[in-house]
Amino acid sequence: MKQNAPVQNSMKSGKWIPTTCKMCLHSCNALVRVSDDGVVLKVEGNPSSPSNRGHLCPKGASMLMRLYDPQRVKTPLKRTNPKKGPNEDPKWVPISWDEAFDIVARELKKTLDEDPRKLLPAINDFQKLFLWAWPAAFGGNANYFTVVGTLCGGGFHPMNGMIHRTFASANDYDYCNYWINDGGGDGFSSHLHVACQAGYMADARVDRGMHVVVVEPRLSTGGAKANEWVPIRPATDRHFALGLCHVLIRDNLIDEKFLKEDTNAPYLVGPDGYFVRNKDGHCYIWDPVEDKAKLWNDESIKDFALTGTYEVEGVTCKPAFQKFKDILEDCTPQKVSEFTTVPAETIERIAHEFADAAQIGATIEIDGKTYPLRPAAYNYYRGGEGHKYGSMNNHAFKIVNMLVGSLDAPGGHVGVCLDEYWEDFDHIYGEGAWWPASSGEDSGMLTCVPHQLHPEVPFAYPPNTTHLQDYFPLAVDPGHLNNLTLTEPEKFGYDFYPDTMLICHSNPLWNMPGDQQKWFKIMSKMRFIVAIDVVLNESTTWADIVLPAHDTLESWNMTMIEPPNTEGMCLRQPVIEPLYDSKSEEEIFNEISERIGILDQWNEVINFVYGFGHKPELLLKPGKKYGEKEIAERRGLLWNGKDLKWYMEHGHSVKKKPPWKMYQPWKGQRVHFYLEYIIRRRDELKQKMEEAQVPFRDEWYWDDYQPLPNAAIEPVHQEPPEYDMYAISFKEVQLNFTENLSIPWIDEIVWNDPVHMGILINPKTAAERGIEQWDLIQLTSPYGQIKGLANITEGVHPETLAVSNALTRWVDYHAVVRPGGGNFNRLLPADLRNVDANSGQMETTARVKLTKIMSKPKDAKEVFAKNTMFAYSEIRARGEEG
Amino acid sequence: MPKWGMVIDLKRCIGCNACTVACKMENSTPAGVLFTKTLSEEIGKYPHATRVYIPVLCNHCEDPPCERVCPTKATYIREDGIVLVDETKCIGCGACATACPYKNRVVLHREPVEKGLYKQGILTPFEKQGYPRFVIGTAIKCTFCHERVDAGLEPACVNICPTEARIFGDLDDPDSKVRRLIQERKGVQPLAHHNTKPKVFYLE
Repeated sequence: MKQNAPVQNSMKSGKWIPTTCKMCLHSCNALVRVSDDGVVLKVEGNPSSPSNRGHLCPKGASMLMRLYDPQRVKTPLKRTNPKKGPNEDPKWVPISWDEAFDIVARELKKTLDEDPRKLLPAINDFQKLFLWAWPAAFGGNANYFTVVGTLCGGGFHPMNGMIHRTFASANDYDYCNYWINDGGGDGFSSHLHVACQAGYMADARVDRGMHVVVVEPRLSTGGAKANEWVPIRPATDRHFALGLCHVLIRDNLIDEKFLKEDTNAPYLVGPDGYFVRNKDGHCYIWDPVEDKAKLWNDESIKDFALTGTYEVEGVTCKPAFQKFKDILEDCTPQKVSEFTTVPAETIERIAHEFADAAQIGATIEIDGKTYPLRPAAYNYYRGGEGHKYGSMNNHAFKIVNMLVGSLDAPGGHVGVCLDEYWEDFDHIYGEGAWWPASSGEDSGMLTCVPHQLHPEVPFAYPPNTTHLQDYFPLAVDPGHLNNLTLTEPEKFGYDFYPDTMLICHSNPLWNMPGDQQKWFKIMSKMRFIVAIDVVLNESTTWADIVLPAHDTLESWNMTMIEPPNTEGMCLRQPVIEPLYDSKSEEEIFNEISERIGILDQWNEVINFVYGFGHKPELLLKPGKKYGEKEIAERRGLLWNGKDLKWYMEHGHSVKKKPPWKMYQPWKGQRVHFYLEYIIRRRDELKQKMEEAQVPFRDEWYWDDYQPLPNAAIEPVHQEPPEYDMYAISFKEVQLNFTENLSIPWIDEIVWNDPVHMGILINPKTAAERGIEQWDLIQLTSPYGQIKGLANITEGVHPETLAVSNALTRWVDYHAVVRPGGGNFNRLLPADLRNVDANSGQMETTARVKLTKIMSKPKDAKEVFAKNTMFAYSEIRARGEEG
Repeated sequence: MPKWGMVIDLKRCIGCNACTVACKMENSTPAGVLFTKTLSEEIGKYPHATRVYIPVLCNHCEDPPCERVCPTKATYIREDGIVLVDETKCIGCGACATACPYKNRVVLHREPVEKGLYKQGILTPFEKQGYPRFVIGTAIKCTFCHERVDAGLEPACVNICPTEARIFGDLDDPDSKVRRLIQERKGVQPLAHHNTKPKVFYLE
């Protein structure tokens, strides 16, 4: 048919509306085309934003298909099948909002009245981060039935808070010349604002010739694009970093000036690990020129000793730097090579290349101010640091940067704030929304801010939280410990047992490590479960009531989370009226809060979390319900005084982050090279646990609290020898966790990409074990097992099996989602041994044994079950677990 | 009169397939139909292994075999070099799909259009307004986003790409970015030995 009307969707009659993407945490700025008939036709990047500069990643590009998913939750649903199980059909019936709210309010009020601690929240809405704080209004509930922030961020966030006073960190795209990515996909596949970072990364690599080295067990996209891929045995990355540190210090490739003047590396440490202090609590350094101890801020200091052993006030002590040097004696390239399988020559060479590129001593003038120029930076994320010794892992990577002086320097490794609230927010010298300015009162050192998601949960025995957060003063919530505590509550002295659950935009049964059968048992013991979401998932299958939330394109929000090189606020606004009988999360939580009598408390929590007190006219008042539009407007006004009308027109207020926020914003105070703060908190906790006679205090892993990273070996390396291979999970840019696998366009690009189509195994390993392409294999760890099809690739370490997130769904009701051979996280432990008592970081690498279940059938087409490649029907027919 | 062409910078491309999705979104293509996609291939042996990502699309050849073999002259070349299919003339013989050395054309089947993207025979409003552009049983392919280009915009795949790995422009304009890149970075044509004179060039 001849058509005069356009056939291309962006050209059809309609209008463009600026809004944001919500397919990950990071609110890239988008333009959405809506036809005259109100059909959403196209999503593009908004070119006016210096963040994603008019582009989107595939997740963002696929956004409009989520809106039109026929299997979206369209009305409140009530379960009519009393039986609950992982694949049990809830037999949902639609009910009215009135009935839904009646039931939800009745059940939650019961819990609130009995004991608010009996609620297990799993609230993980991307971008409406303030919702995560709702349980605080629910009688001060601080439980976490999810690990979404901890799987990757357990060790990451507190260390950033202690070193940079930020939540995240990244390398500086503008000036870096030598970029190391260790176990992180920044600039290629994941983490902070990927559609933004990928652009800046391409510019840096291709236009400026930036050299990229990627250290990881699997050849990720970053590894494929890098100048060098350094394969490494999983969970040994800290040792690689310590090996680099050994070479840097041995060959004197260090920025002494930075270490001496801007860090506490010269501060003298006594034999108990604490700084040596005078009677007023001031720290000492050793002046090697005058050969005597002086207070850290003595104006007569001629130089600071970094090495040596000294006597001060009768105490034998060493500079913190010397303590680190002592640790590094065991971290020779040869020793590190044996443990990491990275050749010693590679460690030597990369250390030298890194130090050369760092240009120690160079300076640069930016905006009229002179900074050190250090264009060599070590970046890292979950793969490198998400292991038992999370705190030490993160600390080690930071120190690589500190040694060459590239911490927070142009070209180096910089801090990234979670939320910057208002335009002139100074995260060092200014008050945060709820944390104090850095005073430098402790001998000029930065005031640590280990907590930025929520205030510290106070110690208590018996515990008030089901995940033992009462004993993790520095940690991000290890929600997976629920697997342990709710199975053996008496062991931990609980005087309550939870029976209610609220799941909002979360899939806790998918994200939490641990024995899956125990998780299912915990779920089946719940008296009442309510879920709030756009689509159903493996966890909502257990709910009694599901409440439909608006899709991204139907809702309001104002946010900008962890932008690496920009700042501002991004407006999400509806482009159409809601398709179904859904509500915004704000309206849902307001209604529930009002009905159970906690609305005022909820408004107080929102004021607190969002820092509205900084402009008191924005404060939410008691007795009133504030909708998503009103809260979004306040966030915009708080940022730059512009109202919603302005934001609806411009879409955002994003600009490049100013140099004063990025580069050495703490100048004048000292960065913690040595974290005495950690052992001080350890000893406070120890004392409290002793006073309260906490029965498990002697089982607590006190050695996890370390002021410096050392060469301790993660327990994952010490599993019984029959578990002779490592298994890791991964995603690439197409996937957000796995929740977007329900979108057909994502399904199409994922299932055409070999890395997502089977469990990756090295060819030599496969040959040794008689495994051929597409054989059905099983991975068994001490904690669980999964199945999948073998996919032979040169791009994986020979001891490692790599499992894409795409293979780990098990819901089988959704027409597009392909059930896989089991959730990877069930291979992981949920015990105290494998969690960092310091940071809450859990182990994300598994030790497994590999077995072949069956060879690929000759006529494989016959045995593909449903729309998955992973469950040969013969296996199903034999009744084996899938 | 411009001579439209595209340059693909393989150094920038990260194989994310945002282009694949943007194209499907722009053109309402049903499941299984990809006017553009990104191939990936492993090279080398561990530990010296790497992977390359290669976006492919219709090359809008200057001497296209698809046009030559078309029995009804449904496939035609515009003055600006864009190769299109007139769906009113196409009889769906598939000769063009066979003739194309790049395998970048398909004959549209009924099944994916009826089944819908969500596979249940329920078409989303997006599909309902989009599918009618197609005539089932005719040859379809990338059109270099001819309507966008006529309005002075870039093709959808170029527009979305987060690493700006795709560059579109007038190959006859010596100052255009495409010409400069081909010259400076030594752009190569895909399967040049087939002599179809493709107008998509690759930079390594």
